[in-house]
Amino acid sequence: MGSLNSYLPIFLLAVLAVAFAALSLVASKLLAPKRPTVAKEEPYECGIVPTYEPPRRFPVRFYLVAMIFVIFDVEVIFLFPFAVIYNQLGRFGLVEIIVFALAVFFSFIYLIANGALDWGPVKATKPNIGDGAMRTTRGTVRRYGSKDNKAA
Amino acid sequence: MSIAPSWYLTLAAMLFSIGVIGLLIRRNVLVMLMCVELMLNAANLTFVTYSRALNDISGQAAVFFVLVVAAAEVVVGLGIIVAIFRRKTGATADDVHLLKD
Amino acid sequence: MITGVIAAQALHLPHVNYTTIMPELILLGGMLVLLLVSALFKKALPRDFYATSVVGVGVASLIASLVLYHDVASHGPFTAIAHSIDIDGFSVLFLTLVSCIMIVYPFFAHAYLQREGLDGVEFFALPLISGAGAMFMASANDLILIFLGLEILSLPLYVMAGMDQRREASGEAAMKYFIMGAFSSAIFLYGMALTYGATGSLNLAEISAFLAKNYIFGNGVLLAGMGLLLIGFLFKIAAVPFHYWSPDVYQGSPTIATGFMAAIAKAGAFAAMIRVFMATFPTLASDWQPLLWVIVVLTTLFGAVVALVQKDVKRMLAYSSINQAGFILLGLQADTSKGIGASLYYVFIYSFLILGTFAVVAIAGARGDAIHDIDDLRGYAKSHPFLATSLAIFLVAQAGAPFTTGFLAKLQVVTAAIDAHSYALAVIAMISAAIATGFYLRIVYVMFGDGTDTRVSVPAEKEVYSVSPLGQLGVSPWLFTGIVLCLSVTILFGFWPQPLVDFATHAKLLFV
Repeated sequence: MGSLNSYLPIFLLAVLAVAFAALSLVASKLLAPKRPTVAKEEPYECGIVPTYEPPRRFPVRFYLVAMIFVIFDVEVIFLFPFAVIYNQLGRFGLVEIIVFALAVFFSFIYLIANGALDWGPVKATKPNIGDGAMRTTRGTVRRYGSKDNKAA
Repeated sequence: MSIAPSWYLTLAAMLFSIGVIGLLIRRNVLVMLMCVELMLNAANLTFVTYSRALNDISGQAAVFFVLVVAAAEVVVGLGIIVAIFRRKTGATADDVHLLKD
Repeated sequence: MITGVIAAQALHLPHVNYTTIMPELILLGGMLVLLLVSALFKKALPRDFYATSVVGVGVASLIASLVLYHDVASHGPFTAIAHSIDIDGFSVLFLTLVSCIMIVYPFFAHAYLQREGLDGVEFFALPLISGAGAMFMASANDLILIFLGLEILSLPLYVMAGMDQRREASGEAAMKYFIMGAFSSAIFLYGMALTYGATGSLNLAEISAFLAKNYIFGNGVLLAGMGLLLIGFLFKIAAVPFHYWSPDVYQGSPTIATGFMAAIAKAGAFAAMIRVFMATFPTLASDWQPLLWVIVVLTTLFGAVVALVQKDVKRMLAYSSINQAGFILLGLQADTSKGIGASLYYVFIYSFLILGTFAVVAIAGARGDAIHDIDDLRGYAKSHPFLATSLAIFLVAQAGAPFTTGFLAKLQVVTAAIDAHSYALAVIAMISAAIATGFYLRIVYVMFGDGTDTRVSVPAEKEVYSVSPLGQLGVSPWLFTGIVLCLSVTILFGFWPQPLVDFATHAKLLFV
């Protein structure tokens, strides 16, 4: 177990960090004066008391790009072992990896064709509203209410 | 220096349990997704540990595939979550309750 | 460390025999071509084109499967590609089944999309991926490949569940399916890792050989691994303690996707499950058989009883499919080659039944895919005689009526259980079948009883299909063909079951 000694500094650092954090939390809990009033508990000082947090806009496009990135990132997982023994694999390996890369590339073309990388104003998507059962007041209101979120 | 494989296996088992419990008790869909990731990585750790202990490469090869599958799963999962919650305020599983007996 | 291990051994390239995975390659290649074509054309291509292409791809993979069947019949079963693929009667049966599902599905998808006025490649490309995954699961001889197949099968299904963006329920179904599916995959994977640790291999044949050589008693890691694998499979087939996602998912998904997932997920999961438990863990049968005993009892009874009180057709069919899964497990629980044959036959015919059933339910759901109360089917026989009669046939076949494929399926699994001396189990299964008959006949009664069809969209429907001479029946030519295909399988093999029974009973596993 002697070789564990080299880990000692890291271990000590970890202990110190945890201890410091724990100590700070406990100390502030014990020492800080606590005199809550109704007004203090409110999230905002004036105005109508909110019943729920307002919806935040977030650009969905970032998710899309990030997700596409993840796929290509992961493609490298297979490229890496291939590259390590590239010479020994010969033509067989090359053909296989090209087929693999093509498969990923085809789906990339599909993504581009579907506008995954189009920035700028969102193209108005065809409002695909069914008739009959779908045309309820509730559904329509919800649809129009959600338009802003979509454009964000 | 060497640490007995059983430590790694115990760690993996603990991670897996944390993932299972987290998935069952947490209600935020993103956190649930992270719990699934935790479970997958616990399995990965087990694979690698056994691979080392058995001196057999196939366990490490499995990890490669699991990593890819995990990434694909995250992409599909996030896609679904984004598609649902674009029109909602927060990603809470309890908000989604149209379907029940 | 990786490089170190590799450098120590001379690199030995496996011989890759591509014909053994040709059906999978055809499906995946077809999918890529469809995606590419859809991307390269600016204008949306007609759904006729996509549906025809998928049928073509399905036929091609069916031919490739039959070529493999011929190989097995003439040279016997064999393994390929570094022993990770098993080509035996068993895998060939499933390759054939999945190809057939791929041929039938586009007819229904076309009808559904036409009714909804939707276009797009997704409803046709995603199932192809799923089908390839199911095929990999069926022919895999390696736990990694089974896991990959499971994921390839599942991921497109999650997306398909959420494809109907106009209904919130669809998104909810996708999310539930995804969370539960990912959860069960992770459990399955951890089971794989433990099994690997206990036996030192991921190859099913090697695991089986290891277990046969080494008498292992009470090895916690091995048992835990096997148990987790079992749980992973039971999640996928929705057996009872692990079923709770399935009614929500079945109800929320676009109905046509529900039918597809019910057929393909069961086929793939049962294929892998039977191979893993029959061929890999036969020495541990005394451990998994009692577990399965309990699960079969719970699954058959629970599915049948809860289905009785459902108001929604899709939900009722979800519980009914839980009940059916119990019957398929019954054959596996027997742990005999007869039981396996019975289970295989059951999976085979059930795929067509469930596809046909959900196709009719999808069309009956009217535009918007939202009218699925059982009461909404009142008077359906008067407004749509052809569809109502087809649905009635599919339902009584699921109930196990004579002269349909369902009868022999139920008979065979129950006989297998009796042969294995599980008398109690056989009796319980029969009781659940009797209960199940109740809710199947209830729908038939509602459809053919008094009352008039009150659904709003009946005129619109006639309008959509009026271009065809079949329009008066309320069906498009595509839908008609698909339903006739499913019906003919159900009735033809109901009267003349021998070829299919032979096919199933000769589907021996390579390593048993």
